[in-house]
Amino acid sequence: MDSQIKKIHQQLVSKQITCTALVQEKLDLLKQNTYNSVNSLLDTMALELAAKVDAKIANGETIGLLEGIPFGIKDVYMLQGTYTTASSDLLKNYKSPYTATAIQKLLDAGAIPLVKENCDSFGHGSSSENTIFGAVKNAIDPTLVAGGSSGGSAVNVAKEYTAFSIGGDTGGSIRQPAGYNHIYGFKPTYGRISRFGLMAYASSTDCVGPLAKSIEDIRIVLNVMSGKDPKDQTSIASSEISEEAIATSAVKTIGYFKNFIESDAIDTQIKADFLASIEKIKAKGIAVKELDFFKSDILVSTYYTLAMAETASNLSRLDGTNYGNRIEAENLIETYAVTRSENFSEETKRRIVGGNQVLSQGFSDEIYLKGLAVRDQISENFSKDFEEVDIILSPVTPSTPPKIGDSLKDPLAMYLSDAYTVGFSLGQLPTLTVPQGTSTGLQITAAKNNDELVLKFANFLKDTI
Amino acid sequence: MSKIMTVDILSSIKGAQPSESVNKLFDVIKNAHPSNNNAVNTVNHNCVSVSDLREDVVVESSAIEKQLILENFPNKKNGFLVVAKVIEG
Repeated sequence: MDSQIKKIHQQLVSKQITCTALVQEKLDLLKQNTYNSVNSLLDTMALELAAKVDAKIANGETIGLLEGIPFGIKDVYMLQGTYTTASSDLLKNYKSPYTATAIQKLLDAGAIPLVKENCDSFGHGSSSENTIFGAVKNAIDPTLVAGGSSGGSAVNVAKEYTAFSIGGDTGGSIRQPAGYNHIYGFKPTYGRISRFGLMAYASSTDCVGPLAKSIEDIRIVLNVMSGKDPKDQTSIASSEISEEAIATSAVKTIGYFKNFIESDAIDTQIKADFLASIEKIKAKGIAVKELDFFKSDILVSTYYTLAMAETASNLSRLDGTNYGNRIEAENLIETYAVTRSENFSEETKRRIVGGNQVLSQGFSDEIYLKGLAVRDQISENFSKDFEEVDIILSPVTPSTPPKIGDSLKDPLAMYLSDAYTVGFSLGQLPTLTVPQGTSTGLQITAAKNNDELVLKFANFLKDTI
Repeated sequence: MSKIMTVDILSSIKGAQPSESVNKLFDVIKNAHPSNNNAVNTVNHNCVSVSDLREDVVVESSAIEKQLILENFPNKKNGFLVVAKVIEG
């Protein structure tokens, strides 16, 4: 698939379409869609911005590449004056007082936000069923889940309701729905894009990233959003990735985790397709190494221990005092408790309680601190791996998307389905899902800050398998 | 008052109980044997250098931001923002 952004840009510049007509068409599609991908439409704002782009073109002024390009935003990002619900009862009437840095950069480049997109509440889920707006349906088979937590964003891109969407990835929330809906989804190196204005789930792995239909669109949007931000002290400086720099790949050696593929949990077809992809890569003269890695249950348990601890802390601010759906009770403490009990979903409560369990006295040494130590080991393991190989290739998920309704019945199975994505989150590594290789795609991972190499190898794979 | 706080109190969630599914995840960590069990974060340095802190200045919010913060306030009466009763036993 070629760049949607460049195609639309060309159509606007050559006056084949007006920006207003384009935006109206996409808004109509979003409004009528039956996939539950929309939490709220930003129609007034979008049409006003589109009219400005049309006026500029009519005046013969030059427009930037992203000017007039319609995009979607996962409903966990602040955009001043719009509802930002995190798909939750607690914040269903909450309006963003300010705008997230990543989104502001896109607005400054002229991109037009159309929609706040459905997702698992506060990012808590892998299926986009944990939401007050109805389970998001898979773009390819609507009886299946869209994946999550950025499920609405993945579906909107797959159906071309948006040219690209901005998701959030804490343990796989961009990469897994991208895989389930056959599009690209990129989790950059931790810190490459500012988290300011993204509702915090687990701050040490939360990443902002794009979902799109082409590698080129991922590159364009990534470049615009990247950069150090004084409002997020964990953000880092990075250099722009040019189209030429990723056109050819010099990757000599790749690796894959043997235990991911030899696991009993992997679907036989996904396994066979993954190994067939490896053979095609070998046939191109690239060396492939089998790597040892941590067992899936260790990865999932380490991730959830730390993510739950961080979300228990981050969500403690949601008590209905200054904002949110406060439910009054006889005193302050009771008001907090009733507000939180009535407004959080079962899954969110499960994670908050789990987090407070591991942080509480008597348990923190045995679980939380040990989890941190395991995480260090995982990161060390990655450092050693990237001395031997340039790229690590993995399946995105062990199985195909479940039927809508199945994941909610079995939370442990849902947690374990994140086995192939959470390790790279713990390592804070750049990882891209490509819609190739297996029915839920492949993940391409490089060493920290080597986001460019990921995109290079993705271009190579596009022509190889 | 007992010094032991249960998870429902810690979480401010009424009747909250530890979940069996989540406990299974924690059991895996309890039984893990990390080689560097000193629990000092050696790889994931997310801390910020003191020489790279943002300026310690007060930034005035815009009028629209203040307006939205007021709009979000859950309870208002006669032009006042109503907070929960802070009377403790």
